[in-house]
Amino acid sequence: MTEPASNMPAKSFGIRNMNAFMFEADGKLNYHNMPEVMWGINKEWMVHAQGFISNRQDGGFETEGGSLYAKYRFFSKDDLKKHFRMALYGRYSFNRADIHQQEIETMGHNTGFEAGFIATQLLHKVAVSSSLSYERALDNKPNYKFPITESNSAMNYTLSVGKLMLPKVYTSYKQVNLNLMLELLGQRLNDNKKSYLDIAPSVQFIINSQARIDLAYRQELYSTMIRTAPNGVILKFEYTFFNAFK
Amino acid sequence: MKKLLTITLLLFITTIANSQIIRAELTATGLTCSMCSKATYNQLISIPEVEKVETDLNNTAFIIHFKSNTPVTISNLKKKVEDAGFAVGELIVLLKLDNQVAENNTSFVIDNNTYTFMETKSSNLNGEVKLKIMDKGYVVDKEFKKLSNMTKQYPSYVGTNKNTYHIKTL
Repeated sequence: MTEPASNMPAKSFGIRNMNAFMFEADGKLNYHNMPEVMWGINKEWMVHAQGFISNRQDGGFETEGGSLYAKYRFFSKDDLKKHFRMALYGRYSFNRADIHQQEIETMGHNTGFEAGFIATQLLHKVAVSSSLSYERALDNKPNYKFPITESNSAMNYTLSVGKLMLPKVYTSYKQVNLNLMLELLGQRLNDNKKSYLDIAPSVQFIINSQARIDLAYRQELYSTMIRTAPNGVILKFEYTFFNAFK
Repeated sequence: MKKLLTITLLLFITTIANSQIIRAELTATGLTCSMCSKATYNQLISIPEVEKVETDLNNTAFIIHFKSNTPVTISNLKKKVEDAGFAVGELIVLLKLDNQVAENNTSFVIDNNTYTFMETKSSNLNGEVKLKIMDKGYVVDKEFKKLSNMTKQYPSYVGTNKNTYHIKTL
């Protein structure tokens, strides 16, 4: 769900596809598909461009919007099988779907922007990341204005821990790597102080040291705000092309 | 006087015509997993003078074989590891030397790069020799901090000439 403070290698290109199967209170399935392209510009900068498709609107699948994301790694201290990194990130999204919840989510629901900070500590096979961000919702043009009675900005906070479980000892690049990860994701609306906290355990498979498959389950632990479909299953596919640019 | 100066200079800096950098043993830092090693591997293999790269995945280390009769630029190795998103923790080069005097603060030149000895026991080097690169960015931070306090013994160590490397015999 969250990005680490590390970047993609310089001059690499990645493609990602996220599938979110989220369940509304009445059992109705909201399916979101988010295709994404990623560029590692240099060791400090990477940018992503993402599209948002969902079946929420009546009449099947619709492309609802898109997003641009950039991450700048400004600090890195490396040692043998260890690192501490810090990065800043920013996202701008546009979305033309209706606004149906108090939760602000620029990744798939709201037009708006997000600016944040990430720190990651790697220690042998365990990585711990934390992030803090400010998110602001704008009108979902052309048809849906952001309701003035609702809080249009929020603070987000996340904590994630991941561990490389397999292989115990490496023999080749071709071995499948298995990582287990646990994330805590929270948001607090700035105007009315309503908040939520979710937990998301996930399993990641790394194939041929180049492709990645993530399977996660996101579960709301508590919420004092209206959220349409906070719980569900997320399936992500990712592939990196190294040395894609000269 | 000028003749004496020239001879003295020649005694300290020797250019070797037949010497070669055969391979390098590089340990990368800041990574554990094989996807990160693969990213580093792909960066290293893209260096024009590199023939082949072998990976030790469990130690995040790489053995880099260079093409014969091709000039080698050591700083390319560091740059590519950093482009991958990581850092060099240790770099040892294997060179073929021909009757080279190894003494602290003396140098030799290969492929337009100057290699200056430090922390080295005086000896005479012949044949295949392993030398460790001691400069900033080629050693872990803790080691660099220790070495940067030795500028009295090794005055050229904190110089910023990018074609100069400091080396130690192993």
